[in-house]
Amino acid sequence: MSRANEATATTREDPVVRVVDVRKTYQMGGVVEALAGVSVDLARGSYTAVMGPSGSGKSTLLNLVGGLDTPTSGRVELDGQDIGGAGEAVRASVRGSEVGFVFQTFNLMPRLTAVENVALPLVFQGWDRERRRERAVEHLKSVGLGDRLDHLPQELSGGQRQRVAIARALAPDPALVLADEPTGNVDSETGARVMDLLDGVHEAGNTILLVTHDRRIAERADRIVHIRDGQIEGVEEL
Amino acid sequence: MDVRESLSMAFRSIRSHKLRSTLTVLGIVIGIASVVTFATFGASLKADVVSEIGDTSASNVYLVTSPEDGGPFGSAIQPVFTEHDLAEIRELEGVRAVIPRGNVPTSALRYRGDTFARTQVTATTAETFTEASLVEGRAFRAGESEVVLNRAATRAFEENVTVGSTLTVTMQSNRSVDLTVVGIVERTQGQLPVGGFGSQARFFVPADPFYDATVESPTLGVNQRVYPQVTVQTDPAATTATKERVQSSLDDSDAAELAPGGAEVTARTSGDFIDQIERIIDRLTRFVTGIAVIALVVGAVGIANIMLVSVTERTREIGIMKSVGATNRDVMQLFLVESSLLGGFGAVLGVPLGVLVGWGATEYAEITFTLAPTWFAIAVTVGVAVGIVAGLYPAWKAARVDPIDALRHE
Repeated sequence: MSRANEATATTREDPVVRVVDVRKTYQMGGVVEALAGVSVDLARGSYTAVMGPSGSGKSTLLNLVGGLDTPTSGRVELDGQDIGGAGEAVRASVRGSEVGFVFQTFNLMPRLTAVENVALPLVFQGWDRERRRERAVEHLKSVGLGDRLDHLPQELSGGQRQRVAIARALAPDPALVLADEPTGNVDSETGARVMDLLDGVHEAGNTILLVTHDRRIAERADRIVHIRDGQIEGVEEL
Repeated sequence: MDVRESLSMAFRSIRSHKLRSTLTVLGIVIGIASVVTFATFGASLKADVVSEIGDTSASNVYLVTSPEDGGPFGSAIQPVFTEHDLAEIRELEGVRAVIPRGNVPTSALRYRGDTFARTQVTATTAETFTEASLVEGRAFRAGESEVVLNRAATRAFEENVTVGSTLTVTMQSNRSVDLTVVGIVERTQGQLPVGGFGSQARFFVPADPFYDATVESPTLGVNQRVYPQVTVQTDPAATTATKERVQSSLDDSDAAELAPGGAEVTARTSGDFIDQIERIIDRLTRFVTGIAVIALVVGAVGIANIMLVSVTERTREIGIMKSVGATNRDVMQLFLVESSLLGGFGAVLGVPLGVLVGWGATEYAEITFTLAPTWFAIAVTVGVAVGIVAGLYPAWKAARVDPIDALRHE
């Protein structure tokens, strides 16, 4: 375990994500500081896990990097683009094309089939139906669901749903895959298979940011960033 | 986001709540159908009345008394036109014939033992009938006990009346007179162009000797027959000019003297009547259609309500869509397309229903059915517009959903 830098986890190379001194405060009765000056870079092709107890600010960090939220101060860059200060439409487009989310609760559209769910990001990118389906089928096959294309989420098991979600995350060929407790809603055996799948995604050259509180899951990554009380406590290279 | 994609997603959402969507659409169907019903009925009524007045009487000038403020015609039909007035008008340039009309009060008409209750028959002159209007027989002769019937009147008794039959008329004075049927008419010249709907039975008798309403002519100082209604047939090439001459002749006529206070005697062409009738029917149609619009507003409230419910139910879906790249605009578009689809469906179903009910109403009122096609386009546009307006607030609310909260939403 090597503590490279106490406060930050930056790199000199061309990073996919650059987070510079980001603060995020919420008004909830009083002022709650979710992030208190966090800087972190994600190198291209890297696999980073963010660990911390609940309320530590790890989900906030994920939301900021994914363009779902904007920082109170500081910079968030994705592929060289400042998304922290960007407007809603720009962030939406970045979410659609540069980021693939994998959520704990899968977050599939209940009335869309597996293939339609995977193709959904491409709908908002303006892809035509044929190309969308082609791409979605390809990704579903690569996660081993070639025989479940036209099933609704409710007809799939938890592990299958998470695989659909991973296929969806990869469909737009994003610069970054964000996984928020991806094994939180499946049994440990299924969880292990989901993590194997993510390993494969990483090996294919994708940059992954994984949020978890489970050390065994986090150890799949190259690097663990420990976060507590809105600050980076330490960075662990594996 | 492509509108076709929004359409297909909106369809899916509507289909997934069949009952709810059906009921919402029903609200709009009722609204649009009521509007179309009244618009169709109004258009039919107008066309029917106008066609009843017809082109054949375009050269007729009608003398009527009406309140000075230009209120509805015929509101003060009183016998004011004396024989003297008629004689004066006959002398005017462009006048071809002057046909007076009055009512002879009766209590009943009898034909071969069958009685037809009737409070009046029409007294007029032979000029009221033309070659073309007489289907059978001839016009009556002044001074004779003869009667001319229209077609409806021939069927008024158990046995059909034919030329040569004898009708017995009981006057209100209980005096009975036997009248010989001499002719059957299709359409008469002297009829005021406000005959009411359908074809009523009409009986025409010569004013001489049956019409006996008299008054002292202010000009001549002697008793004369006096009529409530007069039709002046004019040279078709100079109807307007002749109408002007008739009007100025009326200004110092017996009729002007006899007209009750606040009323004036006026000469009107059938065109004047048509204009006035059209104005009145249009106003009525707009008024009633305006009431029907209330139903449409209720339907719109239904759409707004269901869309709000839908936004709440689909908060999580909105969050998912936003996380995979939907902009606020995309989300707004999706919900607006859905609400305008509901409105559009309502309109598409409401128009035929409205036409059907409108047709039923015209059948019931025995008037000719006329379609008002521009109203269909308007109705569908309005339906979609109602959907959009009703969907605006829900769609705006959906667009503003915070994806982070929404994804946590259960």
